[in-house]
Amino acid sequence: MEYGYYPGCSLTGSAHKLDKGIKKVFAKQGHTLKEIPDWNCCGAFEYGDRKELAGFSKKNLEKARGHFSEIVAPCPACYKNLREADEKREFAVTHPLDLFDEAFFAAMKQDRDLKGQVFTPYYGCILLRPKETAIRNNTVMEETITRFGGDVAGEAVKDRCCGGNQIFINKDVTEKLSRLVLDKSRGTIVVFCPLCHMAMKTFSGERKVVYYTDLLLYIMGENSTL
Amino acid sequence: MPKTDHAIELTDYERQDFSVCLGCKICASVCTVNDLDLSTNPQEMLQKLFLGKDVAADDPLVRFCTGCYRCTGACPWEIRIPDVVRALRQVHATESPFEKAFKGSVAIWGRVYEPYVLMRAVPFLLKGGYIKHMMRWMEYMGIHLPHKVKRT
Repeated sequence: MEYGYYPGCSLTGSAHKLDKGIKKVFAKQGHTLKEIPDWNCCGAFEYGDRKELAGFSKKNLEKARGHFSEIVAPCPACYKNLREADEKREFAVTHPLDLFDEAFFAAMKQDRDLKGQVFTPYYGCILLRPKETAIRNNTVMEETITRFGGDVAGEAVKDRCCGGNQIFINKDVTEKLSRLVLDKSRGTIVVFCPLCHMAMKTFSGERKVVYYTDLLLYIMGENSTL
Repeated sequence: MPKTDHAIELTDYERQDFSVCLGCKICASVCTVNDLDLSTNPQEMLQKLFLGKDVAADDPLVRFCTGCYRCTGACPWEIRIPDVVRALRQVHATESPFEKAFKGSVAIWGRVYEPYVLMRAVPFLLKGGYIKHMMRWMEYMGIHLPHKVKRT
């Protein structure tokens, strides 16, 4: 299947690993991601004016019109902004986590398992709240880890805030909030959000922080993703 | 016009929408800002907005809200308090140098070009003690040229 792809600014820069990961996972499953031509920034959470913020994503939807009906946006902020701007539900704006369902795993080629490894699936905020734009399956990462024999930890903090939003404003805030999550979890932290990745990575010490796509690619047999 | 009224205009809300708040304070009980040992009560902010009173720029909620939407998830009316906070930040013009650089990049290229944002935020990063984290951020670095989005 061909999906419209909205990478967003982070995935073209600091979150290039997530961009490559998503593309690789989709390619391995026989799906194509085709970038929305000449897309612009979604505005993330930086604009206080709701109309101005929605305007960014409306432009992106215009650019997708006629090309795609289903749009995949991996960055939680981009995903939320696009979904909210699509008031008439003209498009199926989908987060990749909602595409990792039974059919996906049934078709997935497994090369390794996760036995003996502990993971904390960490969703953070925007994938789970507000509920209008939340992903459909809020246990998809846990299900993946247990399906392949890994142990899940840190359930109590999976939806807490890492403070990533404040990392370049008041980094002490981010440090305190990220440490709350790190202290109440174990093993490798599995995230999907580029900002959660950065916040966790900055304060995680020896603990590993990986994208969910790294986990999938490891199971699929790719080298050095975990 | 009070700044609060101007802030409300920037959101999807009208002043009277905040009259539905039941005063249950469940927003305060889940608020991430309270994990920082600060004392904040979003319900008080909603009350001030409804009554047309000003909410100060240095209010802990305005300064430290992380936009986590835990309040919205818990609120019986699902009031989007983070949207209101962002509007308040805008009318109080309390953007950090980083946020200014972010918007600057979007104004030039239509996208966030991180090398530009970093360059513009260098004084802030030096002063704020961010340099010690640079080693951990190496994996985020990469060289690419900015893409300029066409004006439509």
